[in-house]
Amino acid sequence: MTHPIIKVDSISKRFGGNQAVDRVSIDIPQGSILGLIGPNGSGKTTVLNMLSGELTPDEGSIFLGDMNITGESPSRLVQLGVTRMFQMTKVFVRLSAIDNLLIAGQALGLNQAECHERADQLIKELTLQPVQYLDAGQLSGGQKKLLEFGMCFMVPPKVALLDEPFAAVHPIMRQTMSQFIKDRHQKGQTFLLVSHDMPIIKELCEESVCMNAGKIIAKGKTKQVLDTAEVIEAYLGGDHV
Amino acid sequence: MIGERNLWANKLTLDLKFFMLLCGLIALVPLLELTPYTLGILIISFYFALIAMGWNLLAGFTGQFSMAPAAFAMIGGYTAALLNYHFGLSLWVGIPSAVLVSALLGFLVGSTVLGLKGPYLSLTTLALAEVARVVISNSHDYTRGDQGLNVPTLMQSRMGYYYLFLGILIGAALLIYSLMRSRYGGFLLAIRDDAHGAQSRGIPIVKYKLMAFIVSSSISGFAGCLYGTFTELVSPEMGLIQQTGIIISMVVIGGIGSLTGPLMGALIVYLGSEWLRSVGNIQMIVFALTVIIFARFFRTGLWGLFLKLYFYLFSDKKR
Repeated sequence: MTHPIIKVDSISKRFGGNQAVDRVSIDIPQGSILGLIGPNGSGKTTVLNMLSGELTPDEGSIFLGDMNITGESPSRLVQLGVTRMFQMTKVFVRLSAIDNLLIAGQALGLNQAECHERADQLIKELTLQPVQYLDAGQLSGGQKKLLEFGMCFMVPPKVALLDEPFAAVHPIMRQTMSQFIKDRHQKGQTFLLVSHDMPIIKELCEESVCMNAGKIIAKGKTKQVLDTAEVIEAYLGGDHV
Repeated sequence: MIGERNLWANKLTLDLKFFMLLCGLIALVPLLELTPYTLGILIISFYFALIAMGWNLLAGFTGQFSMAPAAFAMIGGYTAALLNYHFGLSLWVGIPSAVLVSALLGFLVGSTVLGLKGPYLSLTTLALAEVARVVISNSHDYTRGDQGLNVPTLMQSRMGYYYLFLGILIGAALLIYSLMRSRYGGFLLAIRDDAHGAQSRGIPIVKYKLMAFIVSSSISGFAGCLYGTFTELVSPEMGLIQQTGIIISMVVIGGIGSLTGPLMGALIVYLGSEWLRSVGNIQMIVFALTVIIFARFFRTGLWGLFLKLYFYLFSDKKR
């Protein structure tokens, strides 16, 4: 078993009367692409929010390697190598696509030459050349997703947390993004991938975790997880089991 | 094809070039043998331009819509005046102190409103600005209240003040340009567009918001102090909400988020208001309508319209 780069130890989060996440433990092995699936409202994004520092767990701990990172701020976590792509795209709309990438690189301490070199490379890899000088606000939804995706990799992170990266993305762009993930995975990059897109989860993730009502209901090999009766019930309702 | 000209660094450099060109033209204006009154009007428009540039750094480049720029100018003016009135300290102490005190208060106000955005930030800064104005206005024993305080002058020559203010405007533009061309400038723009997104890219937004507050309030304080030495008087009127309204209209009309816009806006609004005064006291109505028209139809202000025309004439046609 590969040593986990992220170890989530029994974290919980409650919003008023709603137990959004209930004693969830997840290990993200170094160099893996771990899928995190579950129906809407199952607590996936809340787990991601705790991993990326947007929320602090009420209970439990999160470790990056041996370092306890529970409750660290999002900006500190990015500096430590935990980067996040959001379900609702977050780009700097009044700046050009390339400026978005440059700022992401500068924030992580790259000098100007390194920033330009990496931005150019990412623009090429993500096929954003035709729109690189347009303001990010003028890009299509899919192009914005690709841009935010690229911003996550200006400095290769220790772990990339991707929240619905393929949602509402054109199939060609989806292919570009999934190929990018595969290439980086080959080089040892670790991913946590949250998605409702089962074909892509099957294609990219060897292992997956399924949540429902704030709890983990299945974990292990993706195929086995998807075949679990509880998972099918959670997604499709009891009649389909 | 929009091309590399849309890169932030290129846009800013072009902006600075036009700013310098405009300042060059302004430097030639006194050759027209202006009356002392007209020179005075121009100097006061430079004072507003300086505050507008400081406010634009905070609101236009960082997205922190403070309603306290005039209050910081008032505080800068009063710092120099109080040090002179109570302790007999010269302007050589008063002016740096004005900048320091404004910076310190900028830090305190910035810290207070760190977690706020949009109307909450605006209302809180407005409330703090009003508190400062009312405290100064009511502290008769120390500030002489609404009578105001005398301030020593730096020089008697209006022409001297004209070029002093112009030089300081150029200095402020260069300072803001250097800041905005550096990586920190990029971080401020990122905070303006999406503070949460900026934080998730590793930008410590608290630090940079505070930095913007400090620099902006220092510029306003410096402007207020210089204005006090020019008029030889500071009064609580400097901090009135109407003054902040005028500063905001200058930036919106001139072009928010640019270097040249606040200067263009300050010249047009202030000179226009003097001209409209002779027509009848309708300047506030005219400016309110102008702001509405610009905010609704021309969000990039005169600077944005000018750039469109410039690229149409000199760039896009050639491509």
